[in-house]
Amino acid sequence: MSLAKCLEILSKYYLSFLLGIRTTLIVALSGTLIGLCIGLLVGGVRAIKLDKTASGFNKTLKKIIDLILKVYIEVFRGTPMMVQAVFIYYLVYTNIVRWDKMVAAIFIISINTGAYMAEIVRSGIQAVDVGQNEAARSLGMSSMQTMMNVILPQAIKNAFPAIGNELIVNIKDSSVLMIISITELMFQSNSIAGTTYRFTETYFVTAMIYLCLTTFSSLILNAIEKKMNNTETSLPQSDTNFHSINIAKKGD
Amino acid sequence: MPIVEIKNVQKHFGANEVLDDISFNVEKGDVVCLIGPSGSGKSTMLRCINLLETIDKGEIIVLGEDINKISDINAYRQKVGMVFQQFNLFNNMNVIDNCILAQVKVLKRDKEEARKIAINNLTKVGMGDFINAYPATLSGGQKQRVAIARALCVDPEILLFDEPTSALDPEMVGEVLNVIKDLADEDMTMIVVTHEMGFARDVADKVVFMDSGIVLEEGRPEEIFNNPKNERTRQFLARVL
Ligand SMILES: Nc1ncnc2c1ncn2[C@@H]1O[C@H](COP(=O)(O)OP(=O)(O)O)[C@@H](O)[C@H]1O
Ligand SMILES: [Mg+2]
Repeated sequence: MSLAKCLEILSKYYLSFLLGIRTTLIVALSGTLIGLCIGLLVGGVRAIKLDKTASGFNKTLKKIIDLILKVYIEVFRGTPMMVQAVFIYYLVYTNIVRWDKMVAAIFIISINTGAYMAEIVRSGIQAVDVGQNEAARSLGMSSMQTMMNVILPQAIKNAFPAIGNELIVNIKDSSVLMIISITELMFQSNSIAGTTYRFTETYFVTAMIYLCLTTFSSLILNAIEKKMNNTETSLPQSDTNFHSINIAKKGD
Repeated sequence: MPIVEIKNVQKHFGANEVLDDISFNVEKGDVVCLIGPSGSGKSTMLRCINLLETIDKGEIIVLGEDINKISDINAYRQKVGMVFQQFNLFNNMNVIDNCILAQVKVLKRDKEEARKIAINNLTKVGMGDFINAYPATLSGGQKQRVAIARALCVDPEILLFDEPTSALDPEMVGEVLNVIKDLADEDMTMIVVTHEMGFARDVADKVVFMDSGIVLEEGRPEEIFNNPKNERTRQFLARVL
């Protein structure tokens, strides 16, 4: 393998690589975000503990919903995303609608990520002290209000490293979506390698690009995490609101 | 008419009969202190009054209603505030937002009004200087005072305290008890589970001594502390006084 050849491939085909990077990032980012939304919903519902006073009907309904969600999670975590991709893509394509490949890719990576996120969110919720829930409920807040305002924000914060990790995983694992021929980085690399017959050099460049993408994402995620931790443990920096209240009081 | 009536309440967890026929009343404006050895069911009793637990038998009548038959539990809970041993401040928000949240969500107050009420209550408990602080930066005593202010913000008619000073360093117990005393002076109705016998003696209108799920003795603090009728009460007081 020659490094000079690598650079040559990179300079000659950088537009193709860039298109691949763009598609990979779009798929990975939207997959992670939509997956997080699915995860919040599914994980949130699964973590709901019905009141001791709840009716028998509600308790049965909850059990049925939990079972369905559990099946979803197990199926998508227990089968390879590549298999999910071809199966779902052709299932929809031949039976329902001739859908766009990009839409299909984002759909597939989202529901796949959703299954992982659901478990991440659920354990994030379970790590929140039960006292938080009891305090909110004792003030008269509904279970939904408590979940949205008190529990989920803390659960997301607890789970942030794991949530961020899903983005890294998606940047890498979106490569299997080449199976449905979207122009993500791996698909582009295959085309370039097929044109140049320089397989080793091409895939070395590909690997380096993936490494850059994941490293860069890690840095951003770490910075966000640090920022979140700082707001809750540092003393308030400026207390402008308080001063304005004091002044208002003096004026009274 | 009493504001809280506990009538022959029973409650078990599995084979464990935690409350075994409990009855007592609380008059409006009174402070009732629940005392007794740990494991006697005091916390469970309070949690049943707040519907964090449900009872198996008996009745709990609060403000004239059988609470195990009411449909709107949230509206009921707003009227019966609770202060916990572990404070349970919302860790994801600062002091003022802790006090605003339920006002906006439950009482549908607008944010400005809620903010004013929150500041009034925080000032009352001596925490007016800390409105932008996050719970993680406060001492135990400060957290508990914020928790009391937060409970006051939704205008409860009754406050329940479950060992509000048990998780505090000794030097912080006084500041929290003083806040509760101030509330007693304003005729807030309160049920306080406590091991602070000095506080119970000074502030309580009634002391209820619980032991293994039953009320062994109840009465004015001077009766309970000076002339306990029951041998178990005497033993317990000898140990803690
Ligand atoms: N959620 C629960 N599940 C099972 N047992 C419980 C639960 N809560 C309390 N208990 C049991 O009930 C008994 C009384 O507990 P508690 O009401 O906390 O007493 P106290 O507050 O007087 O110390 C204890 O034996 C305790 O183990
Ligand atoms: Mg207790």
